[in-house]
Amino acid sequence: MKKLISFALILTLSLALFAMLTGCTENATTENDPVETSDAAPTGEAAAPTDEDDDTGQPLPVKDELIIGFTSIPTHFDPLQSGSAGVLLFSSLIAADADMNIVPDLAESWEISNDGMVYTFNLRDDALFTDGTPVKASDVVFSYYTIMNGATSTDLSIVESVAAADDSTIVITLKQPRSVFLLTAAEVYIAPEHLYNDDFGLNPVGSGPFKLEQYNADEQFILTANEAYYAGAPAMKRVVFVKMDSEDVRLAAAQSGQVDITLTSAVTAAGVGEVPGYYLLVEESVDNMGIALPFTLNEGEINEYGAPVGNDVTGDIAVRKALSYGIDRQKICDDALSGFASPAYSENDGMPWSNPENKIDYDLDLAKKYLDDAGWIDEDGDGIRSKDGVRASFALLYFANDSVRQAVAHATAQQARDNLGIEIDVDAAATADFAATMYSTPIILAWGSSNPMTSYYLFHSSNAGKDDWYNPENYRNATVDSYLDQALNAKSLEESYEYWKKAQWDGITGTSLKGDAAYVFLINKKHLYWAREGLNTGRQKIHAHGDAWPLVANLKDWKWEQ
Amino acid sequence: MKMKVLPAEKRPNRRAMIGIVCVLIFLILITLYIVGASMNELLFEPDFSQKLLPPTMKHPFGTDFLGRDMFARTIKGLSLSMFIGATASGAAAVIALIVGIVAALGKTWLDHFLNWVIDLTMGIPHTVLLILIAIATGRGITGLIIGISLTHWTGIARIIRGEVLQIRSRRYITASRKLGKSRLWVAVRHILPHMIPQFFIGLVLQFPHAIMHESGLTFLGYGMPPETPAIGIILSESMRYLSAGMWWLAFFPGAALAIVVLLIDKLGESLKLALDPASAQE
Repeated sequence: MKKLISFALILTLSLALFAMLTGCTENATTENDPVETSDAAPTGEAAAPTDEDDDTGQPLPVKDELIIGFTSIPTHFDPLQSGSAGVLLFSSLIAADADMNIVPDLAESWEISNDGMVYTFNLRDDALFTDGTPVKASDVVFSYYTIMNGATSTDLSIVESVAAADDSTIVITLKQPRSVFLLTAAEVYIAPEHLYNDDFGLNPVGSGPFKLEQYNADEQFILTANEAYYAGAPAMKRVVFVKMDSEDVRLAAAQSGQVDITLTSAVTAAGVGEVPGYYLLVEESVDNMGIALPFTLNEGEINEYGAPVGNDVTGDIAVRKALSYGIDRQKICDDALSGFASPAYSENDGMPWSNPENKIDYDLDLAKKYLDDAGWIDEDGDGIRSKDGVRASFALLYFANDSVRQAVAHATAQQARDNLGIEIDVDAAATADFAATMYSTPIILAWGSSNPMTSYYLFHSSNAGKDDWYNPENYRNATVDSYLDQALNAKSLEESYEYWKKAQWDGITGTSLKGDAAYVFLINKKHLYWAREGLNTGRQKIHAHGDAWPLVANLKDWKWEQ
Repeated sequence: MKMKVLPAEKRPNRRAMIGIVCVLIFLILITLYIVGASMNELLFEPDFSQKLLPPTMKHPFGTDFLGRDMFARTIKGLSLSMFIGATASGAAAVIALIVGIVAALGKTWLDHFLNWVIDLTMGIPHTVLLILIAIATGRGITGLIIGISLTHWTGIARIIRGEVLQIRSRRYITASRKLGKSRLWVAVRHILPHMIPQFFIGLVLQFPHAIMHESGLTFLGYGMPPETPAIGIILSESMRYLSAGMWWLAFFPGAALAIVVLLIDKLGESLKLALDPASAQE
């Protein structure tokens, strides 16, 4: 027992001591002292090869190397088997630029048939795999068929056939028109047929801007520039991705000058203020967070997973409307994310297929009017409304360990209680526990992608009430369904925009907060990174959900500035 | 310098001193528990205008990332820990008492079997077994209590079994049996009363163990849900903010836990001095 006690005491004291020390280093670093941090030890090995370039404070020749403190190291790089780093090591037929325009990649041009079913791509002739062989149409056909025959990277079930008309012409025939097919094709990376085998994931050979030099599972991987890249070799000649999976390690690495760029969080960024020699890179995202509100009343229904469906409070549109209009989103951004977020009004703010009408103004009076008109009145004077004996009260779940969602949930709950008279009990649950509760209990969920298909999954009734997280609230609206179908089956992406927008709000109904408000979107997270001064990360696409890979998607455009 | 030996009547009475210490510690702990258990949850409500403040007069332990008052959360967490610790170590002591007596009085094969179970339980690393049981029994407070009591009875059971074996060989036990009293009668009338001190000392000394394991398990994420103001939760949350220099989030709750554990341990040691026949007359 004695041992245990002294252990506890020592643990506590050393913890406190450590805490106070780190509290002090914060001040120390502002005077530009090099700080010794034991936490940085695991990264020392990886950083060692570039040490000579990495001493802070000395004037350097133009650097062409980069060290990234990365949240996770992929287990393989096979782009056909949803390996990460596809965009860095491989090319696809086409790509989407920062404005979500479709631009050429391996294909220098393409035509779409009038019925929107046949896509013809003309390959450029100067693209080489890094083993020196040219990228041929047969490689494209091979890659598509490997995915269609069961590889897992992309859903290509819409594709009927892929054929090589000649060495540089590919004809893809769809089963039916699919407006988003070009966006899908932009995510299909091309692997060389003659080198593809079971070990390809660890020995990837692509035609992208970088090639894999070294890979240490769970530690780091190193990319070097592909000098033969058809669009010009990237400015960064060697890029080291070091695994840093905890916020402490990443911060310590930045404070000791061991990385050139690494992820940080709103809490750390606000708490630490600044790291000398670094600037805070703030990237906008569609990484949105909102509440999925069960769309139907609880009528005792039990679904195919054995879970109850519906909620008597959120099943009332007045409550959902009140939450849409009566929550001050900017205040949540300030409260929960120290201002490192912006208000969200849909799952796709800022995308070309987002309806500008989605944005609504914070209007507490309107929100209260919705509740009053629907008969939600505070009868017993406890500050919480009720209607026909049902209290305006529901639980709001978030994933345990996600402190951002926790903070957003509490910030929302507070406003709902104080301003609207709606009681929200915030509670955490393990991911596995949601199976039984998510069809009847509101959850904080996060979405955001650079493909409008997300809207289809989120709101089309064919996907309602499934256990894939998209539509646990059981949202169904026939009008929205028809717009979504039209959008998906439109003959081109541009043509589909109008229907995606109408599905959100057509003036009468829609998925947006003005319409059915099944999802009350609250905030778009900003993605934050400590970046060494002088590092130019180029013009980035609006980041999708997830803050690691979207950052480096345009790594080929990064450069050091004098 | 010569030690000056006071005459016996002027020496402070050691048992009285121990008694006072015990009562004092007990009062402190019970006050802490009552204050925490009856605390209004509004006292540690999120208040974003007050988030991440260092300790002040208004918030002696500072506030966390949701602006919750850490002093109130810590007290609440300690009372929760004490409740779980008391329940679990109480249950563990009862298990130990039953097992110990049955092992010592029953058939030989039963004794062998129970000894084997004790060895088995002690052989598996505590924390691993605890995590397995806590998860299997549904996490949360119930899982923790079951897990802790099922892993913490072995030590006391061994002591009790040893004591029983010793007492069983006494003449008056043999006499009582020869006079026709049943095993049960002998166990209840002659043996159980001797076990009471061991039982209570074991219980109290197991208490801090239980609290530490409760916090440890919760810290690791196998214990109570994140919205509970438990010390383990508070400490694991604080880890995220240490590097940003917010030391108070870990320091005060950790120190408070250590102090409570030390107090209970002191209580147990004092009880042992006062009750254990071997040391009571020192």
